[in-house]
Amino acid sequence: MSLLRLDEVTRSVRLPDDETLEILKGVTLDVEIGDHVSIVGRSGSGKSTLLNLLGLLDAPTSGSIWFDDRLTSELSGNARDRARARGADIGFIFQQFNLLGGRTALENVMTPMLYASGRQFWRRRQFATEMLERVGLGGRLNSMPEKLSGGEQQRVAIARALIRRPRLILADEPTGALDIETGASIMAILDDVAEVSGAALITITHDVNVAALARRHYRLDRGVLAPIDVSRVLSAAPEVGL
Amino acid sequence: MSSTKRQSPLAALVGSFSEAWAEVRIHRTRVLLSLIGVAVAVAAITSVVGLGAIVEQSVQESNESNGGRPATIGVSAYTQNGASFDAALLRTTLNSAVDRYKIRYHTSILSGQLSVQFVAGAALVNTTAIDVDYGVMHRVKIKEGSWFAEKDINRLAPALVVNRPFWALMGSPDLRTHPTVRILGSHPITAVIVGVRAVRDGDMPNMMMLMDAFRVAAEPASYAGQSQFEAWVPPPLAKRVTARLSAELAASVPSGVDVQVNRQDYAAFGADPIGPVRIAVGAVAALVLFLGALGLVNISLVTVRQRIREIGIRRSFGATAGRVFFAVMMESVVATAAAGVVGVGVAVAVVENPWVQEKLSRGVTDLPSFPIGAALFGLAAATLVGALAGLLPAIAAVRFKVIDAIRY
Repeated sequence: MSLLRLDEVTRSVRLPDDETLEILKGVTLDVEIGDHVSIVGRSGSGKSTLLNLLGLLDAPTSGSIWFDDRLTSELSGNARDRARARGADIGFIFQQFNLLGGRTALENVMTPMLYASGRQFWRRRQFATEMLERVGLGGRLNSMPEKLSGGEQQRVAIARALIRRPRLILADEPTGALDIETGASIMAILDDVAEVSGAALITITHDVNVAALARRHYRLDRGVLAPIDVSRVLSAAPEVGL
Repeated sequence: MSSTKRQSPLAALVGSFSEAWAEVRIHRTRVLLSLIGVAVAVAAITSVVGLGAIVEQSVQESNESNGGRPATIGVSAYTQNGASFDAALLRTTLNSAVDRYKIRYHTSILSGQLSVQFVAGAALVNTTAIDVDYGVMHRVKIKEGSWFAEKDINRLAPALVVNRPFWALMGSPDLRTHPTVRILGSHPITAVIVGVRAVRDGDMPNMMMLMDAFRVAAEPASYAGQSQFEAWVPPPLAKRVTARLSAELAASVPSGVDVQVNRQDYAAFGADPIGPVRIAVGAVAALVLFLGALGLVNISLVTVRQRIREIGIRRSFGATAGRVFFAVMMESVVATAAAGVVGVGVAVAVVENPWVQEKLSRGVTDLPSFPIGAALFGLAAATLVGALAGLLPAIAAVRFKVIDAIRY
């Protein structure tokens, strides 16, 4: 069943000299529940713009985006609805972890629950504790971000992204700030937790090794999204550019 | 979408408080700095307004001491050629008017010089003859003893209220010993000093005595050409009473005598005499608040970078723009309101301090209590400043695209 579908999506911006810059050109993508998709691309290829669209943070210039078989443009006029949908259905994992400073690991994971309703809101401490235990940080609940290693910080970020049981996880360069070994371990945890929760996982990265962990692979080049055979890329790496 | 369920108002409120509290806890140094700035500003503005009220009262009482309280209507009659006239008719008409218009406070006024025997010798002393009501109408302040009472009218030895130099010439005696002086003249009398005025009106001795006693002690020729009267009426009625009195008195006096009836209190002279004080106080208060606000806004701007990124992260978790706005504003407003309470507390301590009051009031009889308006104004100003200071990062954060804010 299709969870997220992009149909001939374009995104362009008007430059100060009145010219139009087309960042995304006719992007089409279909992501199903439980799917794991990777998108690789160089800097400036349009990855961030695509991430904004996938995360309901921005609206396309043309084309349509369907989430759960519902046209997102129906929500585009209502920022509040989009924010609520984002909080309930989409979990973000950032390259720089983006943990909130001055708050413990537990408080960071509890943060998304502040915007939830019902049980999720009132029992947020219990849910956050359980989620941190799932990612192996049950013993670091009250540790500040600066006291955690890079891998631990990213695990906190994963726990935070998954705490509201989103159906779509968007990981933006999730291993970009980690060494290879830690990155592999993080991806294993992410893949595992996503699979157990049944969420679809879209990983946006420039690292083909990370991209290879997904089931389906795409490359974004100058705004054009196209499927790639990642095994060919890997066999030719590291010289093969993306 | 599986769940775009709206958060309950209670959960939203608890969540916002939780966020605001976490912010205050985490950024306590910044918050404390902001609070100190705001508390000082609020303390300053509230103190200035509170102390200004005392100064205003002081100025007002000084004006009332001279011209009487609003509205004091003065009546004077005189002849064009300076000849004396019989004021009995005038007094009869005035007494009738006082009864008809139910004027509660009124006084006749005469002035002259009487010879008083001091230890060092006799001296001419400026004397004002009045009725008992004069004390209330002119807010006469007494340093020692008391103002005249109705029973003083019947004293065989007339009562005197003297100024400080007069009292000093007598060796500043304890008034409980009923000190007396001899008033010389064709009918010498002994008078008892019942009060010493607080006002510092120069080095020359002067005294006040009740009208009947003055008429006994003074030579009639010395006050024959004078006829002054004052009535204290409610300000809204002043215009009508003035017109009526003017007409009635003009009809009652003999030809050749002119009667003038007009308001003589400070409030009658159009321009607000306290206006300049009020404007000066307001300008200082505004300047102090502006400086406080500037400090707070400055601190807010310095931390805007940090806040924008954090708010971007929150929005990616589903925080609506409204929720972010509310949380940031509440954090700022709650903190500054708390600072405002501290500032008002400091201001109360300053304004109610006896030493400060002594220095500023200079014998104010009706010392104003701490103006509640000033306290409320201080709190409102603190809250407003907090809202304005919170507005900048909140607007900036909401206007940024979420991903741009996270990468800010």
